[in-house]
Amino acid sequence: MIAGSLVGLALAGQLLSIASGMLPQPMRDTVRNGIEAQRSSEQQAQFDAARFDSVTALSLRSYLDAAIEQGIPTAPLINRALEGSARKKSGAEIMRAVRLFGAALAQAMAALGPGTPVAELEAGASALRAGVDEKSLAAIRAVRPAGAAIIPLMVLTDIKQRGVPIVTAIDAVTAIARMPTSDEALNGLRETVAKNAVRGPGMAVDALTRYLKSTASGSKPASAPAALDRKPIRPPSP
Amino acid sequence: MTLARRLLCASCFPKSAAIIHMALLAAIPVQLWAQRSGEAPVAPASAIGPATTASTISVLGLASSVEGATQRSEIWMGATQSLGKLGRVRFSTIGHGDFQPRNAVAANSAVEGMMALRARARVGGAHIWSAVGYGYVNVKGGLSGTGLGLSPALGTGFDGAHVDTTVSQRVDVGAIQRAEAGVMSRVSAVEFSVGFSVERVSRVTTQTLTINESNGLPPVQMPMTGKLATTRSTRSLQRRDIATGIASMGFHTGPTTWLVSMTSPVATWVTSDALAAKPRIAPTIASVAIVQPVTGWLSLVGAAATNSASVGSTALRDDLGSGKVKRFAPVVAFGIRFAGLPGRRDDTPGGILSFETRTIGSVDSAAVDVAHSNVDAAATLERDTLRVVLFVDAPKAESVELMGDATQWLVTQMTRTRNGQWRTELKLAPGVHRITVRADGGKWMAPPSLPLGNDDYGSPVGMIVVKGRR
Repeated sequence: MIAGSLVGLALAGQLLSIASGMLPQPMRDTVRNGIEAQRSSEQQAQFDAARFDSVTALSLRSYLDAAIEQGIPTAPLINRALEGSARKKSGAEIMRAVRLFGAALAQAMAALGPGTPVAELEAGASALRAGVDEKSLAAIRAVRPAGAAIIPLMVLTDIKQRGVPIVTAIDAVTAIARMPTSDEALNGLRETVAKNAVRGPGMAVDALTRYLKSTASGSKPASAPAALDRKPIRPPSP
Repeated sequence: MTLARRLLCASCFPKSAAIIHMALLAAIPVQLWAQRSGEAPVAPASAIGPATTASTISVLGLASSVEGATQRSEIWMGATQSLGKLGRVRFSTIGHGDFQPRNAVAANSAVEGMMALRARARVGGAHIWSAVGYGYVNVKGGLSGTGLGLSPALGTGFDGAHVDTTVSQRVDVGAIQRAEAGVMSRVSAVEFSVGFSVERVSRVTTQTLTINESNGLPPVQMPMTGKLATTRSTRSLQRRDIATGIASMGFHTGPTTWLVSMTSPVATWVTSDALAAKPRIAPTIASVAIVQPVTGWLSLVGAAATNSASVGSTALRDDLGSGKVKRFAPVVAFGIRFAGLPGRRDDTPGGILSFETRTIGSVDSAAVDVAHSNVDAAATLERDTLRVVLFVDAPKAESVELMGDATQWLVTQMTRTRNGQWRTELKLAPGVHRITVRADGGKWMAPPSLPLGNDDYGSPVGMIVVKGRR
């Protein structure tokens, strides 16, 4: 059936090409948009309904149809649903997670703008779900073109979840994201924050600040945890 | 192994985060899911077979057709609990009890209880397990107004033509001692186990005999007793040793766990005094058990076996009835299993130290320029899907599982390498891939070194990015 649809799409594309010079522009746009919409629909991921109870499967199908109509990619939504099934969550919990992530995808689409790849949308939606706001996503987009913002968004999500305040995190990420070949620097930032976050959010922020300064100055980023840079304070001898 | 034990095993799906412990009763946990154990890992089907270290409580109702014509039903309860680790050996305990109410086979009631201590360790690529158990059985039988008198377990000593002797009451009290051992290995997502058990049953049978001396003859007043019927009590001792071979196969289909097993008596030795009941030899029994998770703490359990000789009170019940042993006397069971109950310790060894990936090529093209990259580093490819090998460093783990977007969120069992790492290969298309791992059936965790993703379900995930064509 899928193969048949693809053949149909191909034939329709040929017909569209042949007829491109014969139809008025508005009609050509309408036909092209229809074909593009169908092609987009074909590219939407399918889900295995057998992994869910019948009510959840029906709800999920309905929600995915609505998402397709709105141009929201369904693959990330299906993955959330499958994750819920794998974690043995109830249908209500699964649908709640799917709806929340669908809303986040819609927000990410609005914040990151048109032409954003699905992977970047998913990274943006994950950032939103982790507590990052839409302004932060727009700030990332301002320094990175479409398709080049995945790493900054992932790093932003990661360090936010490790306790770094969002304002500090977005300042650091956007500052490094402006630099050429900054993905490596962003990964270094994430590793530094992760290493120090086990000692508490304060240590994570401290490490982030020092990393940012050293990166901006071009020096080698401090790799040692901040806590180890300080000598222990001993009480004065009596 | 008894069906109840098999069910328990089946009900012992792994729950903790690090490895699948084999534990108490019967066994199941792994997966065509193996992957749970869910609920992953299945265990061998021995009496104490392959269970997990998961803390579980199971309640099952069993219905069986014994002796072909009559039926009986039982209530079975079991619990498993991890006891921890000593060196490389993991210990767990299994306890179960079985109550059989009055039934038409002339048993007024039967109770059985058994405790077992199980040990498991990894040797190379396989697991070996061993267990010792002790049980107590009490079966009370009698006419019970059913009209089905028990056949005497001993010769009457009277002239059968003129004396009619029946058992009006019989009590069997027995002790079961069992030792077993086996080896378990995994091929693809299927876990195979073979084992051997030796069981000694010591039974004391007390029978009350009613002797009708008239036996259909015209009533004659006996000059000695003045009675037409007398009763006598006899006590006999029997000791029986049974060697049984065990083979099982466990796997997962989605979250459902399956355990198919077969037990077959290899040899039997019986030591009895002259008055002891004649033992029956259990037939070869095939069984299947299924565990279907409903929620994180509740599962449905179902099972069936070809012969009810595997159900409770095994040591004593087999010769209570008067019918012949049938090889096909099916038994079915349905019940529920609780896991992760409040106050019960969650054994989560953890043990995952690090995580890394290596890109070994692309699926669709040979022009791959990325020979080695860390997980958190995006692999830039000209073509699409990558073949990526994932490594988890968990040298102390006995099993490591992985699931994520790339596996359709089905649990994938990782393979142990010689250097103590765990390995699996995935095909990753361009995009963001979320992934989570666990060791020994414990809690799912984000792989170390990976960026954290949002945890919509309260469990962290890591993220891998594969860049496609720009």
